[in-house]
Amino acid sequence: MKGEPAERLDPRAKTLWRITGTLNTLPLLAGAGLGSWALVQLADRPFLIAVLPIVAVFALVVLSVGIMPGLRWRRWRYEIRSDEVDLQRGIFWVARTLVPLARIQHVDTRQGPLQRRFGLATVVFYTAAGPNQIPELSTPVAADVRDRIAELTREQDEL
Amino acid sequence: MSFKERRLHPVAMLIGAMRTIRRWVSAFVLPGVAFLMSQGFNLRTLVLVALGALVVAALAALWGFLSWRATTYAVSGSAFRLRTGVFQKNERTIPLEHVQSVDTVQGVIQRFFDVFEVRVETAGGGTAEPDASLSALNRASAEALRREIKGSRCEPSGVEEEAKSEVLRRLSTRELLVAGATSGQIGIALSLLAVGSQVFDDVLSEGFVRNLFDALAPRSTTVALVLVPAVVLLAWLLAIAGTILAYAGFTLSREGDLLYIKRGLLERREATIPLARIQAVRISEGVLRQPFGLASLRVESAGYGEDAGVSTTLFPLLPRREAHALLLRAAPEFAAAPVLAPLPRRALRRYVFRATVPALVVLAGAAGLSFFVFGSAAGLLGLLLVPPAAAHGWLRYRDAGWALERDRLVVRSRSLARATAIAPRRRLQSRGVVRSPFQRRARLATFLAEVASGAGGAAVQVTDLDTDAAETLAGDLGPGSRCRVAT
Repeated sequence: MKGEPAERLDPRAKTLWRITGTLNTLPLLAGAGLGSWALVQLADRPFLIAVLPIVAVFALVVLSVGIMPGLRWRRWRYEIRSDEVDLQRGIFWVARTLVPLARIQHVDTRQGPLQRRFGLATVVFYTAAGPNQIPELSTPVAADVRDRIAELTREQDEL
Repeated sequence: MSFKERRLHPVAMLIGAMRTIRRWVSAFVLPGVAFLMSQGFNLRTLVLVALGALVVAALAALWGFLSWRATTYAVSGSAFRLRTGVFQKNERTIPLEHVQSVDTVQGVIQRFFDVFEVRVETAGGGTAEPDASLSALNRASAEALRREIKGSRCEPSGVEEEAKSEVLRRLSTRELLVAGATSGQIGIALSLLAVGSQVFDDVLSEGFVRNLFDALAPRSTTVALVLVPAVVLLAWLLAIAGTILAYAGFTLSREGDLLYIKRGLLERREATIPLARIQAVRISEGVLRQPFGLASLRVESAGYGEDAGVSTTLFPLLPRREAHALLLRAAPEFAAAPVLAPLPRRALRRYVFRATVPALVVLAGAAGLSFFVFGSAAGLLGLLLVPPAAAHGWLRYRDAGWALERDRLVVRSRSLARATAIAPRRRLQSRGVVRSPFQRRARLATFLAEVASGAGGAAVQVTDLDTDAAETLAGDLGPGSRCRVAT
């Protein structure tokens, strides 16, 4: 297996992930606030215990908004070689995946509403065993990657 | 080749009628029984119910006749055509080159009249429903239809080569019984019995059960000693019966690039597996089978057919050492019996650790609970869980192994049963190497390869092999490195 794949995701991915991380933890924060309120008002616990749920959720927010996006971005790499797509990702479990172009059946690009704001898109390619994706590329790069995969896949078929 | 429209065997009327009745019965049984109950069993209500049943039967028979008359099929030119529908006419045309297989199934009724249900499946067909199903054809017309569809697909030169199908292996009665006895489906049978006994309890009046208990209570230990083995024995017999129903007369044969499987006691099923569709083969040695050197063969195939969708039994029971010979004849692309490379010694600690963690969690929970809540140390009995868990981890380590031989990836692993997966390089959809920080410290990695199976994928995995070995393996299985060795 060759060295690390060469290309990185768009740097704006980090900001996007921070926003989605915040959105995902908001309900938890609301729940924790409610819990703390209940502990003080209904169960009459001391303040130091009552504040624990909020502290726990804040730790989670720091982790998922402050720390993870940076680590995730630094790890995520991809490369489209002449015969394979090479992916590397994962913060704790680092996964390296090689998908031969000859096995790829079709390629899509996808863009959610938030992604559109940031001018980012996700490339999804399918083998008979399921989808793989390269997330958060800038829209022109994503289009280019999609076309390159499609092009190379066709060449492989002709061989 | 004939162009004329043909009808099904008249038994199709009966089968159609039975289907209609079956559909209606579920809707009418409850109201019917409720009606009977509320009115009491007098003559008038009985007659009414019988009349109702008669009307339903007559309508079903009429419907059966009408749909039989409306159903015609033909092989015309380069397509198979099926017309159905009494009121709303449907016509389905399947181009012959899209036909993947022509399978036959024989239900109980069909067996009685010696007719066959013929299913025509296409390559893109869904997994649940056959693309076209003819409920009754006699032996000659079923054969004729199959020949017409098949014959037209062959290139003119290939016709002579297409040999008669060759039987590769038959399951003997002894093997059938052994397969049932060691099937490990006893758990399923036990849960079925539990459900059954629940129903039994509900039906029996309460007083009866209490009397029974009162009568038995003084000797409850004796009863338990008798009852538990009796229930287990019954579940075991049920498991054997289930296996006999499904696998009696199991025959695996091959004709060119197609494998045929025939099986079943009451309902005879015939399934076709095109060799080109097979993605991986698994040789599974169940806990009860491994000590006797027995195994079963399964194939993962890309989505097709009713029960062939994801993973099909290729052969239910055979001696492990004969598996390779059978594969050589049935699916040579998947035949490989290399010496497997074991995992490095340093992986053993991780296997044992991983296996004992759940036991340790249970132990901590039980000990804590018993100490703080009940003030006893009984929870420490959980310690008894740890040695078996550790032994299981050790077994998993010992049985894990991998090899790459003549472009075939062979991976052996154990969960409960020991399974050997064989997949040729060109069937792998992707390869992956995953490492956790702990694995990185021990220079170990997990290797994964995906094959297509059913609608999605199935993974072949080696946990904790040497990092360099994993990366070399991932590289060697890539498209760039053709390591063909002449054989």
